[in-house]
Amino acid sequence: MRSILTMRDALAPALLLSALALLGAPLGCDTALPSPVASSRGDETAPRRGGTLRLATFSDVRGGLDPVGTVDGISLGAIHLIFAGLVDYDEHARVVPDLAERWDIDDGGRTYRVALRAGVTMQDGTELTADDVKRSAERALHPSTPNPVGSAFANIVGYEAYSTGKAEHLAGVVVEGRYVVAFHLEKPDSTFLQLLAMHTLRPTCKTAGDRYSDAWLACGAGPFKLLPDGWQRGTSLRLVRHDAYFRPGLPYLASVEWTFNMTPIAQRARFERDELDLARELTGADERRFLADPRWKDLGAMGSDKTIYGESMNTRMAPFDNVEIRRAVAAAVDREHQTLLQPSRMSVLTQALPLMLQDDPSFAGQRYDYTAALEHMKKAGFPYDPATRTGGWPHPIEYLIYDQGLNVYTAQLLQQDLAKIGIHIFLKMVSWAAFLAIQQRANASPMSQGNWTLDYPDPSSIFDPLFTTAAIAPEGSYNTAFYSSPRLDDLVSRAHLEMDETARKALYREANALVCDEAPWAFTYGHHTFEMRQAYVHGFAPHPVWPLDVSGVWLDHAGQALEHVLGGGLR
Amino acid sequence: MLDARARARFTRNRSAVAGTAIVAGLVIFALVGPLLASHGPLESDFAHGVGPDRMPVGPSAGFPLGADRIFRDVFARLAVAGRLSLLIAVSATLIASAIGAAVGIVAGYYEGRRFARVVSVDGILMRVIDVLLAFPFLLLVMAIGAALERTSAVTIFVILGVTGWMGIARVLRAKTMQVRSLDYVVASRALGQSAPSVMLRHVLPNVAGPLVVSATVMVAQMIVADSVLSYLGVGIAPPTPTWGRMLFEGQDYYAAAPWLVAAPATVILLAVWGFNMLGEGLRDALDPHDA
Repeated sequence: MRSILTMRDALAPALLLSALALLGAPLGCDTALPSPVASSRGDETAPRRGGTLRLATFSDVRGGLDPVGTVDGISLGAIHLIFAGLVDYDEHARVVPDLAERWDIDDGGRTYRVALRAGVTMQDGTELTADDVKRSAERALHPSTPNPVGSAFANIVGYEAYSTGKAEHLAGVVVEGRYVVAFHLEKPDSTFLQLLAMHTLRPTCKTAGDRYSDAWLACGAGPFKLLPDGWQRGTSLRLVRHDAYFRPGLPYLASVEWTFNMTPIAQRARFERDELDLARELTGADERRFLADPRWKDLGAMGSDKTIYGESMNTRMAPFDNVEIRRAVAAAVDREHQTLLQPSRMSVLTQALPLMLQDDPSFAGQRYDYTAALEHMKKAGFPYDPATRTGGWPHPIEYLIYDQGLNVYTAQLLQQDLAKIGIHIFLKMVSWAAFLAIQQRANASPMSQGNWTLDYPDPSSIFDPLFTTAAIAPEGSYNTAFYSSPRLDDLVSRAHLEMDETARKALYREANALVCDEAPWAFTYGHHTFEMRQAYVHGFAPHPVWPLDVSGVWLDHAGQALEHVLGGGLR
Repeated sequence: MLDARARARFTRNRSAVAGTAIVAGLVIFALVGPLLASHGPLESDFAHGVGPDRMPVGPSAGFPLGADRIFRDVFARLAVAGRLSLLIAVSATLIASAIGAAVGIVAGYYEGRRFARVVSVDGILMRVIDVLLAFPFLLLVMAIGAALERTSAVTIFVILGVTGWMGIARVLRAKTMQVRSLDYVVASRALGQSAPSVMLRHVLPNVAGPLVVSATVMVAQMIVADSVLSYLGVGIAPPTPTWGRMLFEGQDYYAAAPWLVAAPATVILLAVWGFNMLGEGLRDALDPHDA
């Protein structure tokens, strides 16, 4: 049978297409950016009420919207909007009261007493009391709750008995009045306020009951609430304003809406067409285009540098059970080259602490030093001669990667760097879920990329989960290097007990130096977010801790129906 | 295989000649390209590959097709990827053709016959083909690719070959059914030649034309399949270059560095187009009545 369209008919357009593609490349043809969509009222600064903030992500809510369950970057942003905490972080990452009116620390750091604001209305219409705080804490830490970070609260008196089912209630959380609740700790803990600011113990509505349930509709005291049909799994999430939110006048937005599983390219295209209000996942190339355009440049905002990346080396597997090999890797990685992949978002990282926590500019940490790397290989017993390309570690090493983000590219740069010191890695690509499972399993993967975003802005949020012996588990180990050092454990433990900030910082400096020297990770780069907004989006700034904070955002989009100008008409 | 008249028909067919030229050009590019490149396909050049804005440099004397996002020579990678893609596509096609020819000829030869009055070889083989065709080809290949511990060129072309033979089997079954009733085939059977001997000596040479045509077109399909696998991350692992992977890696940069997409897209387009035109040209030359 003959096709209706002959090959000759198809020849001309196909040739034209090829020619255009080939011609376009040398000319470096570029698509011009449209102008930002301006505010309808020019420079007027009085906030307006109403409108929907439209967001998108290439990801999805992998965990849930319950603060006591597994969370991810997307769900954490939504949880922060649905649930208010007793304390929270301000725009400088300092712990400040939120549902709490104030707090007192007694017994040398063993008791944290919190006085709640009176008259806070939860999203189910009931008033928040100290009983809700205790009930929410017990729900979060009950053994039947799938809480991956429950052990972070092991210092609360009675946790052991309660988490093993031997006690009916959590003895260390005591209701001392309708609006007063006290947390009693076994030992002083300088990080306890940071833990309270996390999502886990945020008060839940009475509808949550005493025990975790998959079927519960997330409900808290935050500025936005979830309606029964608000979360279409795999598709979208819509939160609407909690009208009785305890901060008068806030939030301004009527709703916030995420669309899931949208590629960064599609996000950029929709943002340019004014179908998204914020572009939060621009590719490095697109980001550079926006920043190079004077019309857009000032509408971009960098987030804080709270994520660290590095090469995690399994210290229980050869050849990384040899500290000199690890030191060789740490010295062989050219971090400047890796940051070229996304210069505006990546910064060279030579130590365990992300940029926002670094307080010692004189600390050298791990540096690229090719000569030193070769020397470490020699000390390890595997000298490598670059001239003849002989020697080095004799076996290829599997390096685990997943096909997402930049790790495929940094892995290839690492491959080139390590080949220069006689270490040959081959890349094994797996899905993200498989990557996590294998990386966090003992003796399963010799080397892979590690990354960690601070749960709270304190060095303990790095050292505790990533490098202490307590963080090692046969499965699901956050300590992916399976690194165990009694000295580090002691330093971290002492830092927890230390209430003096200066002495505490000194302990963490020592821990930092130790981890850099023994190199369970070769630290490579820090990463921060970059977000581009349309000109009509006001009051937006990346939060130093939370993935998203839009409680003060307002829109002035001519095309969207807004309720009224704030002022006399606002409750 | 091409007699004088067929050769004449082929050379008069401009699209067939263009297809031949494109395929020959790609083969030459794949063989010679890496020798002409000033960089290795796996090495980053931070001295010359990084532009003033820290973007990969565009096409230039040192980088004829520009640099990729980790500053490697796109020209060198494209040529090396061409070797792999062509090797995989041709090898997979050979495997698929061998299996498809065997199944198709046997099914066509025994069509309408039942052994022990019950078993129909043709019926069984055709139902097997129906079942296999019911699986979406790429989905099946991706599932196998994802299940493998480590993929190499050999695993890819074996997977593509053993999952892609059904179309050829159907074509050759139909052609065999025509050929088996021709006088010389009937005569050879009457003279006592065994069935395998008849199929090998008389049927196969007479269905070679359709087999070659189908195989040539199949090379184009295999190039696309290999590119799709690489694009989706279940092909050969980086840093080994493949056309599909290069396309994937370049897509984020298509507005700022269009050569990263244009180069692999163009060669995939040319390869598919060239093999299709060559296949159609062969069909027209070998079997003008069908054309």
